[in-house]
Amino acid sequence: MKPKIAFFDFASCEGCQLQIANLEESVIDVVGLVDIVAFREVMKEASDDYDIAIVEGSIARPIDVERLKKIRENASILIAFGTCAHLGGIQRLSNQWTPQENKEEVYGRHEGAEHTGDDNPFFEQPRHRALDEVVDVDYVIPGCPVNREEVGKVLVAILTGKKPPIPDYPVCVECKKKENVCMFEIGKFCMGPLARAGCGAPCPTAGNECEGCRGFVSDPHVKAHTEVLAKYGLTADDIMRRKNMFTYRYIEKSKGGE
Amino acid sequence: MKILSKEDFSAFVNALIEDDSMNVEGVISKGEKFVFGPLDSADDLRLDYDVTILPPKKYFLPQYETMMTFDLAEGKVAKPAVTKKTVIIGIHPYDLGAIQQMDKYFLDTNVDDNYLQKRKNTVLIGLMPVNVSEKAFYGNFVQAMGGPPEAAFDLMLTVNGDNIAVIAGSDVGGSLLDKANVRDATLEEVEKVQSMQQEIFRKATRDLNVNPKGWYDLLAKNYGSDVWAEQAEKCLACGTCTLVCPTCFCYDVTDEVNLDVSTGERKRTWDGCLLRDFTKVGTGEIFREKKEDRYRHRFNRKGRYLPDNLDFLACVGCGRCATQCVPDIADPVELFNMLAETTTEPIEESTRPLWAGPVDIAGAPDGDFLYIPRSATLKRVEKLTDRETLFEIALDDGKPLGHQPGQFVEVSIMGTGEAPISVSSAPGGDTFETVVRKVGDVTSKLHKMQPGDKIGIRGPFGTGFDVEALKGKNLLFIGGGLGVVPMRSLYNHVLNNRGEFGDVTILYGCKEPCELLFSEEIKTWKDRSDFRHLLTVDSCTEDEGWEGDIGVVGTLIPKVEFDPKNTTAIVVGPPIFYRFVIADLTKTGMPEENIIVSLERRMKCGVGKCGHCQINGVYVCKEGPVFNYKEIKDQPEAFE
Repeated sequence: MKPKIAFFDFASCEGCQLQIANLEESVIDVVGLVDIVAFREVMKEASDDYDIAIVEGSIARPIDVERLKKIRENASILIAFGTCAHLGGIQRLSNQWTPQENKEEVYGRHEGAEHTGDDNPFFEQPRHRALDEVVDVDYVIPGCPVNREEVGKVLVAILTGKKPPIPDYPVCVECKKKENVCMFEIGKFCMGPLARAGCGAPCPTAGNECEGCRGFVSDPHVKAHTEVLAKYGLTADDIMRRKNMFTYRYIEKSKGGE
Repeated sequence: MKILSKEDFSAFVNALIEDDSMNVEGVISKGEKFVFGPLDSADDLRLDYDVTILPPKKYFLPQYETMMTFDLAEGKVAKPAVTKKTVIIGIHPYDLGAIQQMDKYFLDTNVDDNYLQKRKNTVLIGLMPVNVSEKAFYGNFVQAMGGPPEAAFDLMLTVNGDNIAVIAGSDVGGSLLDKANVRDATLEEVEKVQSMQQEIFRKATRDLNVNPKGWYDLLAKNYGSDVWAEQAEKCLACGTCTLVCPTCFCYDVTDEVNLDVSTGERKRTWDGCLLRDFTKVGTGEIFREKKEDRYRHRFNRKGRYLPDNLDFLACVGCGRCATQCVPDIADPVELFNMLAETTTEPIEESTRPLWAGPVDIAGAPDGDFLYIPRSATLKRVEKLTDRETLFEIALDDGKPLGHQPGQFVEVSIMGTGEAPISVSSAPGGDTFETVVRKVGDVTSKLHKMQPGDKIGIRGPFGTGFDVEALKGKNLLFIGGGLGVVPMRSLYNHVLNNRGEFGDVTILYGCKEPCELLFSEEIKTWKDRSDFRHLLTVDSCTEDEGWEGDIGVVGTLIPKVEFDPKNTTAIVVGPPIFYRFVIADLTKTGMPEENIIVSLERRMKCGVGKCGHCQINGVYVCKEGPVFNYKEIKDQPEAFE
């Protein structure tokens, strides 16, 4: 029997699911492998009977926590899908401020404002967390957005009883294999040396620096990287700001935060 | 030497491009840099390039290369399609030198068929550099060698004003020129080209304070230098220095299954010793984890290990690593100068040739197809413990494996991968046994298999125990944990041929009683009085009914009587175990040469090519896994 797959989203742009909706011709192969029973972006029907839950988005509000726990109960395999689910996403940067500050920033704090959303649970602005900070996660497909080919590879791996082949070496490896001109050589700030490969280095290949959307490798040489950036004239402040974008989770961790 | 005008040269190149029987690749620009790539027109060819981002090794050992295709539903494995003939235009002499090193590496022993096929099908058109990259130092090698080394090429080009001078280096090259509008060079032109070559080599020198012939000794004397850690502190461990190197050949192998979950490919892709997981084995152990050790390994592999193994210095002075290393720590010139500065002893110059000479490619015999496994069938599957299962395997061609005790095989499950597994049964017989711990993809898959299921086998590989040399000797076996698996292939041979050996003692320890392997077989030992055995566990609870000793296996050594001078110890266990057991043995007065060990490393290819299993310069997959302790102990990485 084909495994049943359901897609879910939390705080995110849903762009990762769009990558699957965009698989076009090869979507047929994917559908051939599995039964998709819930996928809001492409189908109306939805079922709670599934084996594999593919979950996009970060977990922010208490109602999200409850919903995710339910999904975890239903699924035998839960996959964190994309950077928001894997690391907390760009929105995790809001964890730098208090929930109240965030709420006021987003919903207004100027005098005479109608309300600041205090009475509406949908307007809660608590901490953004990755899925594995709330429930057990079986596999991660990193990236902002996820790499379609990698999604296929991960699904095939799961179906054939293998560990999904997510590399633990830096993007530089794939970038070099593509024979790109190094971003540092053209004076660009690049997260490639710290960031986890598997994407095939599409950003440097297109002439843009890597922003580390897939998170760090398990042994990132952060200090050496910071020294290189300093050599290129970036200040500590610039460096922190740029490094944070997708990877604030690590910074928060080093600060002893949540 | 022949001469073409630039126009005629362009016409010659365009004629090659129009010939559908071959791919034509040449140096083209990419941003401000250069790469070897498909040539659409002679106009794109950049004869003035200084260096390319990647070396032409990518044509013979591509970044991603299909080693075989498979169809799981049909149980079929096939060789990849033969590549089209390729002409590469514009290879500088240092890259030609590097290709010769590759030839030696892949064709020396265990001829790599995938490599040879591509290499035989390639025409090399060399080019004397017009410009020299800032970090290049191939001129230093030419100086040290007393002139340009012998190079193999089909054609060699030198740009001389509005003309191109061409030398044919092979019949293939000569016949290519048949179609070109060439004339003989004048004596003046020949002299001019020669002086241009000398001038280029002179330009391609840097301030290197130690002759490359002294690198070997300099590295040997500085293995413990602080320089490694100081420099590695700045290392990003991004792998760039190895990936862009024309003389780095290490690769990883992965299976990729297509979305149909049946067809797929086994691929190899560039790997590098600077990357952390390079030496990681199935059990999770990383053998060269510290970044300074990885950083040091790269230089030593270039300057000592490959010279020891294949007689060439694995650096050609292209300067790619120096140019592309972001923190600027990969430059051999700077590193060797740094080492020279802190070395007070005199440096000895090696008498070895620096670069490898040409290998006769056209005359090379067909390759041994090294990587396609033989089909085999699981005959018996017996769960030994929670994690370990015994598999009895028969090769489908009906032949015996023909192994020595202590050798290993590569067990292959198409679509999943390959893993090196020790053979656990004594030599002889139509089938052989392995015992596999469930740790990774291949072993987990294997654990789900049933008798009758098909697997692939390559091997036997490596150097096992020298049974002949052990005959008549007193033998003390000391096994820890899974180490008993390869050890059993020897002790069962000894027990089956008991009369051929002296006193035999077997000491075996594991963590807990439930982890004891071969417990049924061991029970039968009680009935034999012709050898002694003692068992121990690190710990156990009372209800486990354990009758053996408690404590690490080394605690058994004082409990048995043996003459240390006249006993050979066979010691096999997990990495941590060796240091303790060997210390216990040497304390008894046992000479080091009486200790034989079997070491585990990441033996990915089994045939001395992929580079993962190296202990310093020693390929465990070929020279090991069985070593005499006295011979291996001086390799600093052996028991770290």
